[in-house]
Amino acid sequence: MNANWSLSNLTERINMSSVFVEQLMWVAVGLIGVVTFISLLALVLVYAERKICAHIQCRLGPMRVGWHGILQTLADGIKLFLKEDIIPDEADRLLYFLAPFFCLVATLLSLLVIPLSPQVQIIDVNIGVIYLGAVSGFGILGVIMAGWGSNNKWSALGAMRAGAQMVSYEISTTLSLLVIVLFVGSLQLSEIVLSQQEGWWIWRAHGVGVLAFILLLISSVAELNRTPFDLAEGESELTAGFHTEYSGVRFSFFFLAEFINMFILAAMMSTFFLGGWMPFHIGQLTAFNAAMDLIPPAIWFIGKTSVMIFVFMWIRWTFPRLRVDQLMKLEWQVLMPLGFVNLFLAAIVVLTNFYFFA
Amino acid sequence: MSESKYTIGNIDISTVKSKRPIRKGTLYNLVTGFMSLMKGMKITAYYFFHTKEVVTEQYPENRETLKISERFRAELKLKKDDRGFLNCTGCNICAQNCPNGSIEVIAMKGETNKKEIDRYIWHMDSCTFCNICVQVCPYDAIEMKPNFESSALDRRLYIYQLNKYAGPTKKNLDKLEDPADMQRLVNLIKREPYKGPIPLGMQQGEEHNFNHPEPVKKIVVKKETAKDVVKKDV
Repeated sequence: MNANWSLSNLTERINMSSVFVEQLMWVAVGLIGVVTFISLLALVLVYAERKICAHIQCRLGPMRVGWHGILQTLADGIKLFLKEDIIPDEADRLLYFLAPFFCLVATLLSLLVIPLSPQVQIIDVNIGVIYLGAVSGFGILGVIMAGWGSNNKWSALGAMRAGAQMVSYEISTTLSLLVIVLFVGSLQLSEIVLSQQEGWWIWRAHGVGVLAFILLLISSVAELNRTPFDLAEGESELTAGFHTEYSGVRFSFFFLAEFINMFILAAMMSTFFLGGWMPFHIGQLTAFNAAMDLIPPAIWFIGKTSVMIFVFMWIRWTFPRLRVDQLMKLEWQVLMPLGFVNLFLAAIVVLTNFYFFA
Repeated sequence: MSESKYTIGNIDISTVKSKRPIRKGTLYNLVTGFMSLMKGMKITAYYFFHTKEVVTEQYPENRETLKISERFRAELKLKKDDRGFLNCTGCNICAQNCPNGSIEVIAMKGETNKKEIDRYIWHMDSCTFCNICVQVCPYDAIEMKPNFESSALDRRLYIYQLNKYAGPTKKNLDKLEDPADMQRLVNLIKREPYKGPIPLGMQQGEEHNFNHPEPVKKIVVKKETAKDVVKKDV
């Protein structure tokens, strides 16, 4: 009788194949890992944001809680979780409840395919680029649901703006990612990283890479709804845009999603253009490449991503906000045509094998 | 000359054109716009990497080394010369010009048969530190000082009497030629000491040492309230 309850025949009893159980375990481990990772990441990013913006504005930022205010975000997080969760009377309750989860889930799903190092990549799908594009659309849905469900003029306006903005800028994001897809010939993210063994695409591609990188930088700032493209939550116009009515835990989900999105886009930029976890290599210079390999790939990835995150924050605290019509004009009259021209040029570069270390 | 619709009185303004901004080509605007954005990035990067530019003060910790601008307005003071005589003549102009009625000047007729100051009372609780009193003073008798550590737990502690000396003004005393005469006049005045509450030990010691202020614990609240003092004066 006792033997029947041992763990070894658990799979037989519940009539499951051991492969399935193994996969289930893997998903559980992955989920726990991801949740821990994003919580820590959000703490670090919020602290970094506050410190960087403070020093850009000649301030010191948080200084009291812990050494140089290092525990400030933890304290703020605890405060957010203890706060009252207010639901407006006239709100569409289903949409109102679901919206933060949509935003958070979209970011979690994008995180799954990012190769953090050669060993750490949760799922390596062969259509990684398409997957990223599809999943980030999920976040827009969450934003629009939040704006509509709140039943508030500011929320609705913010959500409409966010929707229009994110859908528009998705085009130039995709166009600049397609340049790299043309060079690599694969949609798999791990292969995109491996293809940069002889040099990063930003400088191997004869200027086409630089232009695509700038396009992606602009459009990813826009997709993040950060200044200069923060029309969706411009405080001076819409109080807080789509999350005006949210408070407590639900607000913290939006907050979390925003910061994780920043990390994901920074990671995407470093994966596609700066070699991801790949160390800095130059062609066939084996001695130099071996020296660069001494630094572990995870450090390379974290370093590149941090630099990109710093650039995002730097841009945010420097530039003024655009008007709505300027925003749309920038995308549809400047960035999108530029993206198409760039893609065309990239196709020519690829066909003529013109790029470095072909 | 045709009739114009746009006239102000007899003046024809139809030919007046507002100055329009010169619009350059798209490429020019793109390049200059990008350059100006980069300029902004450069400035913010400079401030980010130069911590000496930080203006925030870590106040309670750096109390010993804190430097406050001389122009900071936090405390009204009566100016006095090295003999301790006041410029103030009790003319009441500062009190009349105070937007909040925070100043009360109580004057008396002294030995010289001229108006003399008896008490100069400043209600800090209603003061906005606008500096008008200092600007309107014809005798340069008052000034604003940067000592800002004046918090107290009782509102009544914000009523200050600024003068300890009550008697002939410096202006009148300087007219006297015989110094012995002057000394006689000074001694003649019966000065009533201030009996109201004493905030932060500021009125007992003549000069409030900015770098080493008295700890808050040492506040002495006397039983007689300021209200009583004011009543007595009126």
